[in-house]
Amino acid sequence: MGVLFWEQQSLLLISDVHLGKISHFRKYGAAVPQVALLKNYTALDAAVAFFNPKTICFMGDLFHSAMNSEWKLFQEWTAQVRGKIILVSGNHDIISPLKYEEMGIEVVDQLILNGFLLTHHPQDGGDLFNISGHIHPAVRLRGSGRQSVKLPCFFRSPQQLILPAFGEFTGNHVLKPNKRDTVYAITENEVILVAN
Amino acid sequence: MNNDQLYQLAKNWFHAQDWKPFAFQKQSWKAFLQGKNGLLNAPTGSGKTYALWFPIMLNYLKQNPKYKTTHKKGLKAVWITPLRALSHEIKQSAERVNEDLGTGLTVGIRSGDTSAKERAQQKKNMPDLLITTPESLQLLLSSKGYDKTFKNCSAIVVDEWHELLGTKRGVQMELGLSRLKTIAKDLRIWGISATIGNLDQAREVLLGPTSKALQNSVLIKANLNKKIKVKSIIPKEMETFPWRGHLGIRLLEDVIPIINKSKTTLLFTNTRSQCEIWFQKILEKHPEYAGEIAMHHGSINKETRIWVEQAIRRENLKAVVCTSSLDLGVDFAPVETVVQIGGPKGVARFLQRAGRSGHRPGKESVIYFLPTHAIELVEASALQQAVKLKAVEDRIPYLNSFDVLIQYLVTLAISDGFYPDQIFKEVTDTFCFQALSKAQWTWLLNFIVLGSQSLQSYDEYKKVEVESDGRFVVHHRGIAMRHRFQIGTIVGDANLSVRYQRGGYIGTIEESFISKLTPGDVFTFAGRNLEFIRIRDMQVHVRNSTKKTRKVPSWMGGRLTLSAQMSRLLRNELYSVYKDPAQQSSEIKALHPLFEQQGLESAVPKPDEFLIETFKTRDGYHHIFYPFEGRFVHEAMGSLLAYRISLLLPVTFSLAFNDYGFELLSDQEVDMQQVLDNDLFSTAYLLEDLQKSLNSTEMARRKFRDIAVISGLVFTGYPDKGIKMKHLQSSSQLLFDVFREYESDNLLFQQAFTETFEHQLEEGRLRLALERIARQEILWKACNNPTPFSFPIITDRLREKLSSEKLADRIKRMSAKLMRK
Repeated sequence: MGVLFWEQQSLLLISDVHLGKISHFRKYGAAVPQVALLKNYTALDAAVAFFNPKTICFMGDLFHSAMNSEWKLFQEWTAQVRGKIILVSGNHDIISPLKYEEMGIEVVDQLILNGFLLTHHPQDGGDLFNISGHIHPAVRLRGSGRQSVKLPCFFRSPQQLILPAFGEFTGNHVLKPNKRDTVYAITENEVILVAN
Repeated sequence: MNNDQLYQLAKNWFHAQDWKPFAFQKQSWKAFLQGKNGLLNAPTGSGKTYALWFPIMLNYLKQNPKYKTTHKKGLKAVWITPLRALSHEIKQSAERVNEDLGTGLTVGIRSGDTSAKERAQQKKNMPDLLITTPESLQLLLSSKGYDKTFKNCSAIVVDEWHELLGTKRGVQMELGLSRLKTIAKDLRIWGISATIGNLDQAREVLLGPTSKALQNSVLIKANLNKKIKVKSIIPKEMETFPWRGHLGIRLLEDVIPIINKSKTTLLFTNTRSQCEIWFQKILEKHPEYAGEIAMHHGSINKETRIWVEQAIRRENLKAVVCTSSLDLGVDFAPVETVVQIGGPKGVARFLQRAGRSGHRPGKESVIYFLPTHAIELVEASALQQAVKLKAVEDRIPYLNSFDVLIQYLVTLAISDGFYPDQIFKEVTDTFCFQALSKAQWTWLLNFIVLGSQSLQSYDEYKKVEVESDGRFVVHHRGIAMRHRFQIGTIVGDANLSVRYQRGGYIGTIEESFISKLTPGDVFTFAGRNLEFIRIRDMQVHVRNSTKKTRKVPSWMGGRLTLSAQMSRLLRNELYSVYKDPAQQSSEIKALHPLFEQQGLESAVPKPDEFLIETFKTRDGYHHIFYPFEGRFVHEAMGSLLAYRISLLLPVTFSLAFNDYGFELLSDQEVDMQQVLDNDLFSTAYLLEDLQKSLNSTEMARRKFRDIAVISGLVFTGYPDKGIKMKHLQSSSQLLFDVFREYESDNLLFQQAFTETFEHQLEEGRLRLALERIARQEILWKACNNPTPFSFPIITDRLREKLSSEKLADRIKRMSAKLMRK
């Protein structure tokens, strides 16, 4: 899973966490191991501890479903975060903004910052460079000997950067880069530039 | 009436038809009326339905002597058939006897095709004799008060039991029977099976290995000795006959005289796409057959299939191109000749197909074998031996299918609920769950109630609830409804229905094919050229097109493996190359040019030799091994060897395999001498190594998909409205990863591996094959070019992969290639 840290702004961008998805499945009788949902929080903790950002910006699809029992966990997690939290809301974010605002989370449709347009869905930002999520981008690499491997990635085109999905249990979508695109693939320990 | 009077009734009926009952029919009547259970081994078209319908009815007459005036209400017998298509045939034969004997019994069908209205009526008033499928029987168990429905049922007949035996539908059947044994006090259980290698075991599975039912049972064999003649179609010009391929179209003109010579010919193909192509090509080359040939496969709509079946019976058709969809059931007397296109992969299947022709008594069955590529002629030659020896395969029953058991328990919880102690006893009486431990049972109960093994915080898991008296029930209506939809999905294929835009159902098609099309594309399906318009609500909308196309949907089901017996016979045929030509079959003789070429480029192995070839092409370095053991064993041996080599050096392989051998393809050369020196074919640590190699290959993951669906971990959606199958696939994949990381002791997760070992990789056979290789001398040939033997393997595009390299290293090499595009 990957995040983007904007050092100058001390802003941590995290996209498509899909909290609550596992609880949602369980509520409808599909026994996905419940321990798996904790992984999202340990990963969030690790990212926050590493960058120590002033602001955390979730790029949409933070909470996967309607309100369920996992909301409490999320509340507890938010309470111990020191920085400010912003949510750029996405298609899955159907929980009322008031609920977020109660917890001090600012909910917006988009965010314009220093020539950058932050949205959930990829958008044509005109002069602004667009940073988005939503797609869960991945890249498929092929080698000789008929080898192939699929990896989640940061997908950059001239005026746009699509962030990888952060959440566990979310899946991804393979994009085919063309000549003007840059792809940074995510492996266990490093982010590797694979095409530019 | 006493039993003798009843037999007389049956005999008289046969006389009235100008028939004479066979010994096996009389034996079945007698055993049934004595209250025995049994397995009847009889082929299609032998009169097996009369062997069991009769005693069922006679038993009713015995119980109810006043049958002419008073009719006793309620279900008396259930006839289970794995194929819905057969139910009408079975119903007709029952009605015929019913009418002639004046029993006053009613016959009804209940299957996925039965209308909701009719089903509701049946629920109120069951027919006396019910014909249904395993799935519909499970659905009956999910309705309230099912015990009353079955209380007075006197017989359950499971038709085509051999078809169910090696499948999870068979397990579903075992569980259903375990329940019915308890609630129906005077029940006889009968199976009908074609010839398979393990008939005794088939009876054990049907009745329960330690049950009273088994003690009180018989095995009756029809023993109708039938002559079968196998003729191979040998290409006239062997030199130009292709080394690879799977269609066989090149020999089309050789089939025409065969079709012309007989009244009706069935052409059996191995896959539906092959079926479509053959049908298309025959019409293209011989338009004079228009209206006289037809096509029959499982994805074509029911009406068309029934029309074709009736046309065969009325002798209106010269030829029918078909798949295994015509393997079972109905008798087609007019069929004189059968052509098998491509290797049938199993002796039993081949015999069954051969038996489709020449049904008239005393007539010989003739079956032609048409090879799709050169080496398949060896298989043709081996098949002749197999037919002579009647070397029929076993059907291996499943053990501990936890997914099916979970589904069954929820089914019971939906209807009247269940008490675990009682059901545990019934379940452990079945063959499948005879070794189920108390701990596993507790695990399963926890799974359906808590969704885990302990109570967890923040959890809203809801499925089965436990009432204060210990009864397990489902209260939630949504859960019950979703579960009922899930019951039918045990075969779990990702199919979409194909319709014209203005309605009109054409058939079903795999989503994987459709997903590659864009609107406007034209493809061939059900013998027509169709333009793809869109997908909506699990339906593919199309319109007729006049454009020509080469796109034909493929169905994944066609990949079968050679059985152990066939593999052995195949090797023997191959070794006969070194025999005196007078002792060689005509197929082997015809292959001489190919063997010569093979000998020139590499070698044809002798019985004490194990052939390995290495060469380089544009694709990379090929390492090819020839155990001749069948696809599944090769898949296992390939991943085992790849794993063991990967321990010696960081390397990435892509694996391909067919029935003759397997290939490890890499972008670097493997030092074969090192492989041989390290004794990598050893049987030591076999299971451990296989397990580790499995983590890298993805077999268990694929098995898990069905397990997740059957056990209700993922929901396939409502018919025509559900989530896309692709979505389902990916969430079962995600689930697999989650289990692997967090809950690897999950029984369903482990089941994926057990199934892979027992049913996919055939670990037992693998071990024997490795022991054989250990006794053989290794014949390693470093070749300059691809050899005739290697051709069908290296051109296979369906591949597995295994790697021991660092991901980052692989990516660096691959990204170089990505950029060049």
